[in-house]
Amino acid sequence: MMLIVGTVPLKDLPLTMGKAGAKGDYMVVNGHRIPCTQGTAAMITAALITTEYLKLEAPQALVVGDTGQGKGSREMYEYLIQSVAKLSPEVLALHYCLPDMALTRRLCQAVKGCTKKPLVIADAASMYAAKAAGLATSFDIFTPDATEMAFLADPDATHPAYIARHLFDTDVTQTPKLVAAAYAKRNAAKLLLVKGATDYVVRNGEILATISEPNVPALEPIGGTGDTITGLVSAFVYSGLEPHEAAIIAARANRMAGKLANATPATKVRQIINQFPSVFKEFLCQWSEVCYKP
Amino acid sequence: MPLFKKKPSFEGGGLVLFMDVHDAMAAEKVLKESDYAVKLVAPPPELRKGCDLALEINLVEQPGIVRLLQEKEAGYVSVLPMKPGTSGLLEIVKVTDFGDWYMVKAANMKLSFEKKSGIIVNTSGGGCPDIPYLHAEMIGKRLDEAPRPRDLGFTLCALMLDRALEESLALWQGGSKT
Repeated sequence: MMLIVGTVPLKDLPLTMGKAGAKGDYMVVNGHRIPCTQGTAAMITAALITTEYLKLEAPQALVVGDTGQGKGSREMYEYLIQSVAKLSPEVLALHYCLPDMALTRRLCQAVKGCTKKPLVIADAASMYAAKAAGLATSFDIFTPDATEMAFLADPDATHPAYIARHLFDTDVTQTPKLVAAAYAKRNAAKLLLVKGATDYVVRNGEILATISEPNVPALEPIGGTGDTITGLVSAFVYSGLEPHEAAIIAARANRMAGKLANATPATKVRQIINQFPSVFKEFLCQWSEVCYKP
Repeated sequence: MPLFKKKPSFEGGGLVLFMDVHDAMAAEKVLKESDYAVKLVAPPPELRKGCDLALEINLVEQPGIVRLLQEKEAGYVSVLPMKPGTSGLLEIVKVTDFGDWYMVKAANMKLSFEKKSGIIVNTSGGGCPDIPYLHAEMIGKRLDEAPRPRDLGFTLCALMLDRALEESLALWQGGSKT
C-alpha cells in the first residue's frame, strides 16, 4: 500500500481515509470531493494518475480539513501514530500539516513498529517538522525547493521564514554548497530531490544527477507544481524504481508536462497534471528503460 | 474513525516574552481557551526582556497567536525563536519578471500577478495548512481587493505570503521597496 497523508483546505472535512479517486477537477476520498489545487490534493492526484497509468493499486489517502489552526493536523498525526504499524504501508508520504516536532518524533517511533520499514517521504511542513526535530535522517526522501534547501542547510532555523539571509540570497549554482551543509549537520533525508531552475538528485550527500531540460521557468509560480513532483516520486518508488531513478523521472516528467501545457504563471496545476498521461506515453519507456504497454 | 486520545507532548520552538508574570499567566489562559498548545517556561537569561516567565509556543503558529493576543489585549513584549543563533524573520523579497506577470518571493512563499490588471494569478510554495486555503481565497482577485494572509492565516507561511502581497502591491502601485 502507498499511503499519502496531508491536510486539505476544507474546514469541515473530518479525518478520512480511503482509496483515492478522481472525478473531473476533484479528488475523491470516501465520497468527499476535494478540489485538485495546490497542496495535498495536487500531490495525491499526480500519484493517482501515475498508478492508474502503471496499473498499480491507487494510493490510500489519509486527509483532514485544516485551514491553519492545526486541529485537523494533530488529529491526523495522532491517528497515524496509532495506526501506522497496523497499516504497514510500503510507501508513506507525508505532506501538508501544521508542523509539530513532538508528534513527528512519536510518528518516527511508531513507524518502527511496521512489519517492514516503509519508505518514508516528506515534503511541505512534514519536512519542516522532521528537520526541526532533528529527525531528517530517519526519512528516505525529502523534496525541497530552493528556499527549503536553504532551510535544511541552516542548522538553527525551525521554519523557512527564519533562515539566515545569506542562505536565502544564494542562487541555484550554490545548491551543492547548501546540500553539503545540510548533510554535514544531518539535516537531510537519505535522498534529496531539490526542485528549482536546475533540479538536483542527491543521495547521502553525493549529487547523482541534475535535470534542467526542458527549461520551463513558469513552473515556479504555479501553485502545486512542487506537490505534483512529490506525488510522482511517491508513485514511481511504489512501482519499484530505486529512489534516485524515481526522482530523476519525476523531475523530467513534471518539466515535460509544463512544456506540453505551454505553462505561464497563470496556468493552474490541474492543467499540468492533465498532461502526465501524454508524458508517460511518450517518454516513460525511454526514461525508465522499463517499457510498458498500457 | 476512532481517535486515540493521549495527553499531547509539546515541543514548541518559540517563546512569547512578557514584562510581568500576570501578563504571562493571562496570555496562557487566552491561548489555551483557543486550543493552542502552550507551556509556561523560564526564558533563557539571554532572551529575558522583563519577567522570568515566558510562554513556549509552536513558533510556526506565531502570526495566529500574536493576532489573538492583540485582539484580547493581552500584553506581551515580543515573540522569538527559542534556539540560540536563529536569524530574525526574513525581511527581504525577490522579484522575477515574467513578461506580463511578476512573481514576488518572500522566504518560501511566492505570489504572481498580472502587471496590467493587478490580478493575482497564482501563489506557490509553503507547506502549512492555511496555504492551500489562502491560495483558493486569493487567486483571481486584484491585489488591493484580495484578503490579507495576515488576517486569514495562522502560520509563518501565511506571514511570508502577506509580505509577498505587500511588496506586490507596492510594485503594482509603482512604489516598489526592492
